[in-house]
Amino acid sequence: MLAFGVFVGFSMLGELLMPWIGYQAISLVYLLSIALLALIAGRGAVLFGTFLTVLGWSYLFAPPRYSFQIAGFYDREMVAIYFLVALTVGQMTALLRARRNADQQLREAEINAKVLSESEKLGRTLLNSVSHELRTPLTGISGAASTLRCSGPLTLVQEQLATEIEYSALRLNQVVQGLLNAARLQSGQIRPRMDWCDFSDVVRVSLRNTQRWLEHHPVQNNVRRGLPLIKADFVLMEQAVTNLLLNAARHTPAGTLVIVNCRAEDESLFLEVADRGPGVAPAQIARLFDAFPRAPNSRHGGMGLGLPIVKGFVEAQGGSVAVTNVEGGGVAFCITFPVGIAPEVLEEVA
Amino acid sequence: MSTTEEQHPASILVIDDETQIQRLLTIALESEGYRVTLAATAEEGLAVAARQRHDLFIIDIGLPDTSGLSLLKRLREWTQAPVIFLTVHDAESEKIDALDSGADDYVTKPFNTGELLARVRATLRRANKGGVEEPVFRAGDLEVDLAKRKVACKGQPVRLTATEYVLLRLFVQHAGKVLTHRHILREVWGATHEEHTQYLRVYMGRLREKLEPEPAQQPLFITEPGVGYRLLQTKK
Repeated sequence: MLAFGVFVGFSMLGELLMPWIGYQAISLVYLLSIALLALIAGRGAVLFGTFLTVLGWSYLFAPPRYSFQIAGFYDREMVAIYFLVALTVGQMTALLRARRNADQQLREAEINAKVLSESEKLGRTLLNSVSHELRTPLTGISGAASTLRCSGPLTLVQEQLATEIEYSALRLNQVVQGLLNAARLQSGQIRPRMDWCDFSDVVRVSLRNTQRWLEHHPVQNNVRRGLPLIKADFVLMEQAVTNLLLNAARHTPAGTLVIVNCRAEDESLFLEVADRGPGVAPAQIARLFDAFPRAPNSRHGGMGLGLPIVKGFVEAQGGSVAVTNVEGGGVAFCITFPVGIAPEVLEEVA
Repeated sequence: MSTTEEQHPASILVIDDETQIQRLLTIALESEGYRVTLAATAEEGLAVAARQRHDLFIIDIGLPDTSGLSLLKRLREWTQAPVIFLTVHDAESEKIDALDSGADDYVTKPFNTGELLARVRATLRRANKGGVEEPVFRAGDLEVDLAKRKVACKGQPVRLTATEYVLLRLFVQHAGKVLTHRHILREVWGATHEEHTQYLRVYMGRLREKLEPEPAQQPLFITEPGVGYRLLQTKK
């Protein structure tokens, strides 16, 4: 469109100048139009404009006028040379412009990156100081309570109270951890350190972390050794599985069986945390991974951050997580990772 | 504690800027009979450390004037006294850097004082051993005779491959201490394999298979997520 507009404009200009400068000089007017076009439009438009001007000149100006025929031998030669020059000018101008644009984009990208890294640094500093400010008093509380508990003969009530203080501090620490993780996810500060992981070990560490909270839930760990190694971030995986176990502990009645399974199948590894509890209403199951989705009548603790964190952490490592109601009662969360190509481990010569 | 330690209680220098943590550590450590000195900054810590001898340093990794890590490096220029770091969750690379720079152990805040005291005792015991090795190591159901190169689990001899044995021996030589992935890979497979974590995962799986028959029980090899492994150390 632009090329056509420029062509029409310059054709009219040529028509006006025709009585003074002669039809051959009009081709130079057209050349000027190509150079200008190259400054504002892309290469395709310049090429299109070049064709238009060649046709226009031969039709409108070169004798015989108003026909595509060109009578003079030198005029035909001129058309050929014009065509080449216009193409070259057009391409060079477009190239120059592209380079200038690239420079500008680079500068903008640099500025953006700088702003981004500054704000990221600020965000991280803020998170670190919040983390420090919250954890220092928590260390004071849990440390003092545990020292008290070990400090000598206490009455039964005193000992129970000291244990309660310590337990509450640990629980508060979990809340802090959850909030910090959610904040890190929100601000895109999760940088997985991908390395070969043994998921049976991930499960074992997660069960160790949650022992205290699963006191009243029998746990059946079906995870066997010898699973294929997976490229993942051990710490993020451990946090994700820990959250799933805590979720089971919080949202099912005491005595509910919790089952952990892991199997490799069809190039994928499936890690499943299931419970035999009451399950989740079908209307809510799709929203379980949204932040703050807890049902209004849910009487158990938690801020509803645990499951979104699971999803965020797992997806940051290239895995996926799904949830289904199990036939016969309960919910099953399933984390899936691609198995990929097994790493090489040279065997010893026996 | 042994009798010699009772006669000369170990002295511990705590370098932490939080008065709350200082008070807590003083009470907990003094209740166990240790002598405690306090410092609030890295500069002060270095000055105190140079003035009098200490058997152990407890350093907060986030000090106000300089990082705990650079303080550790300056201390290591002239003393080999053990160092325990206080750190937080999510600081795995910090923990690795500290261990690779010569720290002996770390405790994650918020901690249970029982856990901290256990680490202090274990670290001091390792430091006092002074290179004199017991030929026979026992932990849980495991028994390793380093002199005879014999390994037994629940009294039954266990056959290990050469590499499995070298790996186990490394753990036994540093029982109770966290060994970083890189450290283990370098010692067992050589410097060219420092990044090949798959070896470590595969061989740890095999060692556990042979030496931890029931995974639900107290593990022999304790995974420190993102950092490394430590071999369980049972009190004598």
